[in-house]
Amino acid sequence: MSYEVREENGASIVSLTGDVDLQTSPQVRQKLLETLEKSRSVVVDLSAVNYIDSSGVASLVEAFQVSRKKNAAFSLASVSSAAMRVLSLARLDKVFTIHPSVEAALAAQA
Amino acid sequence: MVKAKLSTSPAASAVAAAPPKGQGIRDHLGLIAEMTREFSAANDYKTVAHSALERITKYVGAEAASLFLVSDEGDALVCTACYGPVDITGLNIPATTGVVGRSVTSREGVMVRDVSQDADFGGVVDAKTGFTTRSLLVAPLSVGRECLGAIEIINRIGGDGLFEEEDLVLLETLARAAALAMNNFRLTQQIVQQERNRHELELAAEIQRDLLPQPSSRDFPIHGINIPARSVSGDFFDIMTLPDGRIWFNVGDVSGKGMNAALLMAKTSSLFRCLAKSAEDPGQLLNAINNELCETNSHGMFVTMLGGLFHPGSGSLRLTNAGHEPPLHFDLRTERFTAIPADAPPLGIAPGIAGPDGFPVTEIDLEGGSLYVFTDGLTEATTFGGGMLGIDGVRALIREHAEESPDLRLKSIAGAVKLPGQSLRDDLTLLVVEDMALSRTQNLISPDTNVAMDEERVLRIRVPGRADRLKLVRNATEQAARFYTTNESWIFDLKMAVDEACQNVVRHAYGGRDDAGDIVVDFIRQNDAMTAHIMDFADPVDPTKIKPRDLSEVRPGGLGVHLIKSVTDEANFEPPPPGVGNLFKLTKRLPTKVN
Repeated sequence: MSYEVREENGASIVSLTGDVDLQTSPQVRQKLLETLEKSRSVVVDLSAVNYIDSSGVASLVEAFQVSRKKNAAFSLASVSSAAMRVLSLARLDKVFTIHPSVEAALAAQA
Repeated sequence: MVKAKLSTSPAASAVAAAPPKGQGIRDHLGLIAEMTREFSAANDYKTVAHSALERITKYVGAEAASLFLVSDEGDALVCTACYGPVDITGLNIPATTGVVGRSVTSREGVMVRDVSQDADFGGVVDAKTGFTTRSLLVAPLSVGRECLGAIEIINRIGGDGLFEEEDLVLLETLARAAALAMNNFRLTQQIVQQERNRHELELAAEIQRDLLPQPSSRDFPIHGINIPARSVSGDFFDIMTLPDGRIWFNVGDVSGKGMNAALLMAKTSSLFRCLAKSAEDPGQLLNAINNELCETNSHGMFVTMLGGLFHPGSGSLRLTNAGHEPPLHFDLRTERFTAIPADAPPLGIAPGIAGPDGFPVTEIDLEGGSLYVFTDGLTEATTFGGGMLGIDGVRALIREHAEESPDLRLKSIAGAVKLPGQSLRDDLTLLVVEDMALSRTQNLISPDTNVAMDEERVLRIRVPGRADRLKLVRNATEQAARFYTTNESWIFDLKMAVDEACQNVVRHAYGGRDDAGDIVVDFIRQNDAMTAHIMDFADPVDPTKIKPRDLSEVRPGGLGVHLIKSVTDEANFEPPPPGVGNLFKLTKRLPTKVN
């Protein structure tokens, strides 16, 4: 698993690549919470996520909860089919704001 | 009490004519032989005694006769058989009174030629029955030093109706032969009764053997052996596996030996088996058994017991020692012994004897070693050299046979004190609890997964139970699934389910510790489904603590089980095979092929 954070139009885009599992989810959680401390608009790009487990989903949920408390914008973008499968099984696809692409997410959060 | 049947018929008509004087020794012997034959063929003492009495009376030539036997208590003489016009069967007289009493006391024949001249003759019977006794002979029924009773014959037939000295000699001879025959009959009856008792004891022993557990399979962690000193035993042991894989065991010793000890043993072991199913802890269990035993136990009998609960996954033991011989913990690596002493009294003495907190529990970790539990039948057994084995002897035997498989080791240790063809002085019971942890770290143990005819084993992987190995498990799952299908979403779901199950092992069973233990996953294809057996070597997990979360609640965690249940057809904890801590089994039907 690897990640990349970049700024665009006043928003932070966190791109995750590879497997988000029990081993890697603590880093994802930490990175998302860090980003939310600095930014009021966060987009998580899940296009390159091959696998995400319950602990990875939990990290996303926690970041979502923090963003609500801080009144920050938080969305998922370009969700891979693997990640989408897990999110829908967890019935979280209706909880998160999900955009088909990072661009669409940035436009919505502008 | 006199149970007299009064008869008015002339006494003489009831008896045969007097035999000719001068009977030969051949006639005497013929009569004796006939009586002996009759006794040996009989199974009813009274009938035969009556028949013998009749033969003797006729042979001597008398009007009437009575046979008196010494009562079981020895203080009375009881009329057992009568011949002649008056029946006084059941008459009970003090052992020392009357002419009969005189004969029994002196062990000699007595003749009262003329009763009117004898002070000992009471005439009580005559007064009640109307019979007139003129003359009588009494001869004791003596066998060695013992006197069974006496035969009394009344009124000679013919002549002046009075007996002669030679009649007494004849009666004494016949009485001696009759006593011998009666004694033989009695002994034969005793042997028959003993044989019957022995047979019943054998049945009891068989039932008792059925109360002991079946021999354990070789890779099972607990083994026991019981050798009774007599056919039934006051010792016992039991081994019982709970559905979650934990194992109850006990070794007990009932005070005393023989049938009463065996009955108390049967009761105690049944109580253990019954109450253990709902007990949480050996202290609580032994307290409950103690209270049950005290409700009905009497006669000052009690039971010493070592009861324990073993977690095969972790090698940890919880023990309660109620007055039992201290068990020995043997550390295979250091070859050192630790004794675990009794800290509570035996069971069955008084309810609530262990105090308000119940019986104390000792927790020990076997750490790759073994626990030996035994009865004093082992420590107090006589060795081949003649001395008592003692606790040092037990330790030496355990060391000597440490390399043998547990079942063989127990036989070797017992064989050192139980010599072939000899019976033990006391019942001997020996039980061993083996920690499989040592073999586990050496990767020697390979869990058994039963594969039926319509099943196919696809793949087994074994990885350390750590987060950084879960990707390996996912890759292996994916490859195992690809063996049967190319349906990518099916493959993904199975991969996720196995991953989530392994994640639970890492997080919950092993508590996130890196070196806690391995995970073994068996992939088996069964008919049209794929099954994954996820096994760990941790303490049993309480499945109720890992449950699907309420999805309406948006919060991190608790999601894994929900994901597993969502994508599989079946997913449950099952009783683990020996040496395994937990077995989680999930099944997913293979996708239907689309052509």
